[in-house]
Amino acid sequence: MESFPYELVEKTIEYGQDLGLPYIEARLVDLSINSTILKNGVPELGSLDRSLGIGVRVLREGGMGFSSFNNLTLDSMKKAVDFAAKMAGEIGWRRKTKISFSDENVNVAKYSSKGDQNKRPLDVEPEEKLDLLLNFDKIITEVKTASIPFRFFMSLDETEKKFILTSEGTKIESEIDRVHLYGLITAVNSTTGNMEQVFLQKGKSGGYESYDYWKMEDYIENQVKILSKIVTEAKPAPKGKIDYVLGPSMIGIVCHENQGHPSEADRILGREGAQAGESYLKHEMLGQRLGSEAVTIIDDPTLEGSFGFYLYDDEGVKSKPRFLLKNGLFKDMFHNRESAAFMNTSSTSAARAIGYNREPIARMANTYLEPGDYSKEELIEDIKLGALVINFTEWNIDDRRYHSKYVGLEAYLIENGEVKNLVRRPVIEVTTPKLWGSVDAVAKESYLEFDGVMCGKGEPTQGAPVYCGGTYMRMRDVEVR
Amino acid sequence: MEGFLEPFPIIENVIQKLVSLKFDDYIVSFVKDDSSQLRFADNQFTIAKNWTSATLKIFGVKQQKTVSTEINNLTTDVIDNTLENLGKLAIALPINDNYLGISEGPFSYPTIEQLIDPKYDDFHSKAVDNVELAINTALEEGAKRSAGVLYWRKIEEIFLSSKGATTQHSKTSYEFTIRSFLDSQTSGQGVSVGCISDSINFEKAGRQAGEIAKLSEGGGEGKPGKYNVILSPTVAADIIAATPRSANPFSVEIGFSWLKDKIGEKIGPENLTVYDDALLPNGLGSKPFDDEGHPTGRNVLIEEGILKGFIHNTSTAKKANTMSTGNAGLVSPENSNIFFEPGNHTLDELMELSKGKPTLYITSNWYTRFTSYIDGIFSTIPRDGIFLIENGEIAKPVRELRISDSMLNIFKNIKMLGKDLTQIKWWEVYVPTFIPSILIEDVNITSATN
Repeated sequence: MESFPYELVEKTIEYGQDLGLPYIEARLVDLSINSTILKNGVPELGSLDRSLGIGVRVLREGGMGFSSFNNLTLDSMKKAVDFAAKMAGEIGWRRKTKISFSDENVNVAKYSSKGDQNKRPLDVEPEEKLDLLLNFDKIITEVKTASIPFRFFMSLDETEKKFILTSEGTKIESEIDRVHLYGLITAVNSTTGNMEQVFLQKGKSGGYESYDYWKMEDYIENQVKILSKIVTEAKPAPKGKIDYVLGPSMIGIVCHENQGHPSEADRILGREGAQAGESYLKHEMLGQRLGSEAVTIIDDPTLEGSFGFYLYDDEGVKSKPRFLLKNGLFKDMFHNRESAAFMNTSSTSAARAIGYNREPIARMANTYLEPGDYSKEELIEDIKLGALVINFTEWNIDDRRYHSKYVGLEAYLIENGEVKNLVRRPVIEVTTPKLWGSVDAVAKESYLEFDGVMCGKGEPTQGAPVYCGGTYMRMRDVEVR
Repeated sequence: MEGFLEPFPIIENVIQKLVSLKFDDYIVSFVKDDSSQLRFADNQFTIAKNWTSATLKIFGVKQQKTVSTEINNLTTDVIDNTLENLGKLAIALPINDNYLGISEGPFSYPTIEQLIDPKYDDFHSKAVDNVELAINTALEEGAKRSAGVLYWRKIEEIFLSSKGATTQHSKTSYEFTIRSFLDSQTSGQGVSVGCISDSINFEKAGRQAGEIAKLSEGGGEGKPGKYNVILSPTVAADIIAATPRSANPFSVEIGFSWLKDKIGEKIGPENLTVYDDALLPNGLGSKPFDDEGHPTGRNVLIEEGILKGFIHNTSTAKKANTMSTGNAGLVSPENSNIFFEPGNHTLDELMELSKGKPTLYITSNWYTRFTSYIDGIFSTIPRDGIFLIENGEIAKPVRELRISDSMLNIFKNIKMLGKDLTQIKWWEVYVPTFIPSILIEDVNITSATN
């Protein structure tokens, strides 16, 4: 980071202190993103995006101000701090409840998560990146069991260098590589006209060695073959009161949507009320039973190589696992220092700012259902009528995260303990208490898998890289209309 | 960093570099952005923000290979280095068969009224009071607490292309959303947006949010089934305007649209005409030129229910044997403003028209997601006030329902449009949309099981 303007960050803090601000932080972010778009086998665009800027956040008179700039001069810095300070004061004196931050340890640290040697985003040649996509596209076109009229891929990689300094003495420097892949594939049965689509999403911190880790060629071939089978072979999904067994992707999305988002303390406090919404959870519900004994949901930013990896959050708090549900009991929320202070508790290291020009807000990192002891076969063997749902197409949930609907993609009928034919678009439309209350068994760790996806929240939107995952879980007596 | 914010020397340097790197065609845009935001929750301001930035956007073509860069770090070294790498990237890529050129100038550009607010600089000192007016109005209507956001923004863009487009453009904008609550399940929303501050009605937005919240008090669980629905402009801008937004050749080619092979087909009723209109005064999406420097205009997408065409850039237009509509997007064409021709009916008249059939009035929605884009099967969650209409009047508030239907069905089943044409843009609606309340027949409504 030779050309990193550390000095300007330090001067930002000094200037804020000279103004008498009780708190000021500055976050310098240097971001390089490379991306390629491949549409139906044609390379539509190669892009290189580069940004460098500083975001400043201050407290004054119980109000909060934020400003960002990318004209990295002393003059711009002073204007930015002056604005944040003036506006924080102007809105602060009007507040009945003053904004403050929870007391936390002051940390000084430096860490990184980089790709393997010669596999870091900027080390890999553009030809090699494009060849990956062209090869994936070729695999799809070689599948002949159904028509695949639409194929779309976008690969992105990034290196994010960050330097956070606060007036309390926190100083965190980090460098993280990430790779992402998005794809959309459509299969059509030309006889019946049945159509199905699968979104391919992979994401990980690290470099291009991740594609080997994902075994992408096998993954894509498998996804396309299954999609082709769904449009040609799938039968209607069962209805009535049935059991479900959900696979890793399905578990990942329900953990994220039905328990991750409602556990965000800023939502519980109403701070996202006009955008992402509030929460069915309340502060006073901590310790209450929200699910069965079988359900423990963890969010852990410290998982090495994960898409949501970080060791210190964007307020400099050392990261740690959060237990959203522990054996069915509501235990932890996602707190930044602001929400923690309002609830008279400590931060749970959930503050994330996606870019120099965004404020740190409470976010998930890597959310998953803790594995249990069962084999997949044991989950299925006593089900009379049900469905095994591996992944999903539609996910839909209200802003309190109480009424959810999921539509399965790869899904199989379970009858008398046996997995049988593919079924089409099974619907799971249940409340969150019903969802977690109906789980009676979870499969063991050897099945654990994660999806790397982008989570949306905030205004302006902040797309945060996260992992969602699990093994397999069984739900009993779900009513399907 | 000297000369950092002087765009012309930077642009001159960029063009020299692009020429020396033997790019055949290029587009260079320099955008200065000064945006501010006030957010509030529980009737109190939660944060005030300001963003200033300068961004260089470059699109380059070399032997029919297409590359782009967006540089937010405007030091000479970084710009030069990025352009060098862009040149290498262009060499490394295969030919883009879908690229068929950029629009050739010189051009003359339309004049659009009400894009620059002469009172913009004064607004900074009024923003807090305006938001407080909305909050207090919602309280007067019976709300207990309100949350929301106000943006105000000014952008200045300098644009030129190797095909003779040279132009500049400035614009201001305001976006205000307020959501008011009686309790966590009883809420209403108001939206007011535009380019001119005098067009933003903070009081009306606060009153609407408060009124709907108050009317929603005591709502019980609704029953699933088939309903006629009356969608407010906020909801219609999301799920009814989704179909004209889907009239995009890029979306069609990747399976992201339900309008493949439907040009010339009747997809809506005869009383439905929809434009993409970049020339609307006070339109948040209004702009005199597109991303190729091609002049913008008003393009009919749906006329009397018939899908007439898609939006296009030069490449997609050539591929479809038609002309650019001035909607470039360098990869995908982009909408400006979606405009629905309004009807003649008041909201009360729409309720009256639905007499005799189970009817819901839905004031806001959130989280539209698809089972399949290509056949348009989706769900969305109504939030804030949902009302059961009986005998042409609001009978009672209901809750906990979901629209689960197909985009083509609900579009086909449009019965009547209101006259309350409103510009909508908020967290859930990203394309500025001018649309009235709309009555739709036979919409599938579901709910979660306990």
